[in-house]
Amino acid sequence: MTEKNNDNNEAGADERVVGTPTDTTDVVTETSAHSESEHNGPYLASETHKRPEEQQRRGEKFASVWFIIAFLGGIGFLVSYFLFPPNAAGEPAIADPQIGQYSNMLLGGTLTLAMFAIGAGMTVWARNVMPHYEVASPYDDLPSSEEEKSSFSEFFMKSADESGFTKRPLMRRTLILAMLPLGLAPIVLLRDTGPMPGDQMKETRWVDGMRMFVEGTHRHLRAEDLENDPNGMISALPALEDDGYPHGMSLTDQAKSVILLIKVPEDDWKPGMDTPVREGSDETHMNWTHQGIVAYSKICTHVGCPAALYERTTHRILCPCHQSTFDATDAAKVVFGPAHRPLPQLPIGVDDEGYLVARGDFNEPTGPTFWEYKD
Amino acid sequence: MTRNGETVKWITARRRHPLAGYAVVILALALFGVGFAALAPASDEARAQTLSAEAPSPEDVDAANGKAIFDQTCASCHNYDGSGTYTDEDGNREMTNGPDLREVGSASVDFQVSTGRMPSMNPEAQMPRKDMVMSEQDLADLIAYYDESIRTDDMGADIPYDVPDAAPERADFEDDESYEVALEEYEAEYDAYIEGADDVDMGMKLYLTNCAHCHSWSGGGGALTDGRWAPELHDSTPREIYEAMVSGPGAMPMFSDGVITPEEKQELISYVKTLQAEPNAGGIFDLERVGQVAEGFIGWTIGLSLIIACAIWITAKQRAHD
Amino acid sequence: MSKTTQAPKALRGVGNFIDDRFHLAKTGEKNLRKVFPNHWSFMLGEIALYSFIILLVTGVFLTLWFKPSMLEVVYDGSYERLQGVPMSEAFASTLHIDFDVRGGFLVRQIHHWAALIFVASLVVHMLRVFFTGAFRKPREINWLIGVAIFSLAMVEGLFGYSLPDDLPSGMGVRILQGVMLAIPLVGSYISMFLFGGEFPGEDIITRLYMLHVLLLPAILLALIVAHFMILWHQKHTQYPGQGRTDKKVVGTPMFPAFAVKAGGFFFFTFAVIAGLSAFVQINPIHLFGPFTPTSITSGLQPDWYMGFMEGSLRIFPNSLDFTIPIGNGYPIITAVLIPGLGVMGLLFGALGAWPFVEQWITGDKRAHNVADRPRNAPTRTALGVGGIVFYGVLWLAGSNDILSETFSIDLYLTTYIFRVLIFVGPVVGYFVAKRICLGLQRRDRESLEHGYESGIIQQLPSGEFIEVHKENSDETTHVLESKPVITSTALEEPETDDKGVENPNARKGMGKFRRALAHWYTKDNVSFEGVEAHTGHHLHHGAEDKDH
Repeated sequence: MTEKNNDNNEAGADERVVGTPTDTTDVVTETSAHSESEHNGPYLASETHKRPEEQQRRGEKFASVWFIIAFLGGIGFLVSYFLFPPNAAGEPAIADPQIGQYSNMLLGGTLTLAMFAIGAGMTVWARNVMPHYEVASPYDDLPSSEEEKSSFSEFFMKSADESGFTKRPLMRRTLILAMLPLGLAPIVLLRDTGPMPGDQMKETRWVDGMRMFVEGTHRHLRAEDLENDPNGMISALPALEDDGYPHGMSLTDQAKSVILLIKVPEDDWKPGMDTPVREGSDETHMNWTHQGIVAYSKICTHVGCPAALYERTTHRILCPCHQSTFDATDAAKVVFGPAHRPLPQLPIGVDDEGYLVARGDFNEPTGPTFWEYKD
Repeated sequence: MTRNGETVKWITARRRHPLAGYAVVILALALFGVGFAALAPASDEARAQTLSAEAPSPEDVDAANGKAIFDQTCASCHNYDGSGTYTDEDGNREMTNGPDLREVGSASVDFQVSTGRMPSMNPEAQMPRKDMVMSEQDLADLIAYYDESIRTDDMGADIPYDVPDAAPERADFEDDESYEVALEEYEAEYDAYIEGADDVDMGMKLYLTNCAHCHSWSGGGGALTDGRWAPELHDSTPREIYEAMVSGPGAMPMFSDGVITPEEKQELISYVKTLQAEPNAGGIFDLERVGQVAEGFIGWTIGLSLIIACAIWITAKQRAHD
Repeated sequence: MSKTTQAPKALRGVGNFIDDRFHLAKTGEKNLRKVFPNHWSFMLGEIALYSFIILLVTGVFLTLWFKPSMLEVVYDGSYERLQGVPMSEAFASTLHIDFDVRGGFLVRQIHHWAALIFVASLVVHMLRVFFTGAFRKPREINWLIGVAIFSLAMVEGLFGYSLPDDLPSGMGVRILQGVMLAIPLVGSYISMFLFGGEFPGEDIITRLYMLHVLLLPAILLALIVAHFMILWHQKHTQYPGQGRTDKKVVGTPMFPAFAVKAGGFFFFTFAVIAGLSAFVQINPIHLFGPFTPTSITSGLQPDWYMGFMEGSLRIFPNSLDFTIPIGNGYPIITAVLIPGLGVMGLLFGALGAWPFVEQWITGDKRAHNVADRPRNAPTRTALGVGGIVFYGVLWLAGSNDILSETFSIDLYLTTYIFRVLIFVGPVVGYFVAKRICLGLQRRDRESLEHGYESGIIQQLPSGEFIEVHKENSDETTHVLESKPVITSTALEEPETDDKGVENPNARKGMGKFRRALAHWYTKDNVSFEGVEAHTGHHLHHGAEDKDH
């Protein structure tokens, strides 16, 4: 910007500043000139600025140093690869996180060094060895000339007419007709990607009398296990053992069935608990609890994250994803955030042996709210 | 001319320098670095000092001293009987500042005092982890007094003496030798507890389904409502985690031994402690294990800035005589 | 230096072999002489191109071991801590890449860092193009292709993030499915068909894998090639300067200098990404543990480029939800639909439409090859800043729990703050940016008239201090003088014709609307009319001027 005022511009008047081409015609259009014997570049020697030999030699030296560093980096990379053995014969090598970290940093570090050095060497090469210049070149006029355009359009229309496509509607229309079913075929073929929704989204694995266990254990939970928990909370699943899955049931079933058991002190319930669990039902939310224990679906009705963050002082159940907040003492009513509806509630009780059991399925479909969830 | 003027002149004269661009980029990077350091949670240096691996025998504790401590440091909020309420002139019981301690159990007292959260100057605010204000002996005395005179019918949870607490500190020992013996003993006990757990899946499931939504997958903590937070667990000892589970400090729900048995708690604690102790296989910088927010921040500030700095080098203007 | 201009024999042989078959000598020379203007901001798109290449290469490496299967297996690989844990094959094979394949951990981290850098460089590249007006005729199509690349890159990133089947990745898919379910009428069908059943089912990773490694990269590659070919054909824009006009481009020829520089830049880009991957751990899936739909962690976040969507999902209230009272009632879940789909539509719709909207407002049908300085198009720049603030507020809102914890602010309060900021922020950003542009324009005019402040203070005989102004270089003067005048054809049409009859185009409907927009778009501008370079008084070393 301010080269004109640069006091150390001792280079003399014929030196040209970058980005300020002289008034001569565009160099690009000229063929190579050989008038100046010391410089044979593709562009006019007066337009290009060959570096002084001394600078070029210095640039060559620097660039070479960079390339040698890159070479050493590359060698280092190969060495690092063989330095850390894979995990043969039960001997954990890179599987040990500490050794894995060394391996990662050595491999990555040498790779970084090699890459950076090549980049730096090439930059030094371009900046110090190559002559420095900018040239001008025209932007092409993009629109075609009027003759070209009209010639094209005449050719196109005549040819189209000649083909009969415009003149013979029966053929044209039947061709389009023929395309229609084939166009639909790919969409039809996608039909078998999945089943129809049906009612399966509204049903879970909970049935009357189903016991539950604390997630991660296979120990059936009893009501008295929560006796010493005036403010307890625990995540639980239906006690299924033999579905052929390591955790008793598939992830798909877990995603629908998981519940949050919360023990609420007697005085903390709110009036919302005395409302019916469904429209027209005789049962209230309170009826569906057992000795202060209430079971809600753990899956948020917003977009399906587990709403698990329970604060025992405020009785808020909060979803850590988008912060929908439900009141555990008020039938899981939404008190903050984007969720559309309360968390569904599971009716619970105890069986003859004192184990906590479900007394049926949830009052509403669990998981994110969808169009037909009320049907 | 003032010094300021000099500076301005110095900068003015150099801002058109070809290297000015780099200087600005490096400065910006440094600022981002400082900003990140300020954002990143400072690690809490506080460490609890409890040493005892088993319940202290009656002759080792002094309940009278415990009473003195209680009356002096606790009673102003919790009242002398630990009820947290007092009787006014008309005979009505009314709340004072503190909660009722009679049913919380000694695990709760041990947790609150050993993590420095009690005594608290401001009962309304959530207390961060701090150094314990009293000595180990004073705490043992206080707990003896609590169990003897304040606790109702052994309600609440007892201190899990078989779960390892903090490592011994050099200052508590007279010479290096006894300290090293104690340290070795402690480490053996700690390793036995952590390695005694053998079901990673159970520990992981218990932790991820019941703890991680507040304390995060890494034990780094997280936000709660009303300006409260779930503390990070890096400095927590296994015993403190255990006590927190059975006593439910603050907004935390309780996980009694009925719901999660002591063996299951061992799996859970072992899972989170092993995870926290594991070196970062992906490099020395773990971004506090905050995750995607920190990664995005670094990608933009360090990654993109460095690449752009290279672009500036490549395209920097050169004078013809350079 | 050699005097010969003949290529060595071997090279000539190859050249002739090719030319005999393709007739390429003339085209080849023309392309090697292609001119590229020099500026660091013209390299931003290259970062995206190079990180895409890195993504392709590292991605191929990862596919050698990755198994896109949701079959549940019990892990018995080398990584000790998770031995005995049930997990999907996808997760187990990712552990295999991390802990059994040498360099696998590094390549996975390079792939992930490159993805973050890829989308970030797309954003800064688009911002450069937007603020310099480089999207104007004849480059609108290339702008649209760019918008398509940006949107596909986000989806591609989201799918890739989902593949390892770790805890946060599965939650990303869960949220995606939750948004799908909210779509009226067909939501549950779309979800069932995509997942092959209910969430998570056993197909989704296999399907996302196909999209992530085959379909989307193929489309992206095709779009990137098209983008590059159009750029090559139309030639790059340039900043104003002496000799640079809409008809003539000034820069470095492709061969040799630009090719070497661009090649070097590839290595720099790779070096920075490799450096991050060597030392900064990213997405440690082995620490997260495998996905289960019942577990969640605090501070859960998507990768940064999805952060704005996460933020809009967090701050949008549920109070606009309603139920259609037919039968049992059908919910319209605005709290998911608007932030989940509407905001994204708004973002890409606005980006795609802007070149055409601006052209409609100004009526400018000329081809532009000289870029605008952002200050010289104050309304556009201000709009862009407003857009950045809008995006930025949503992005920040996506990490409101981390902000809440870090700065000890009430979590709900952060939500309320963001709900206000999302409306106030862009408006403030708009006006501030416009003021700054106009201020810079005024400074430009000053500089044009008086020269620049040299930083030299002189004391006059009268005792007064003045700063000496020096003459700008010709280059600077040229740049300042080349400030375009912003006009609109809508304002040039008279409201009435010479007989006093109202111009129907200007008086009603769209015509009136367009006039109003044109007025808004052009009214704030500092006129340089009548300003002659270096005619101000300051230049005469200030002795006698008293006009300030």
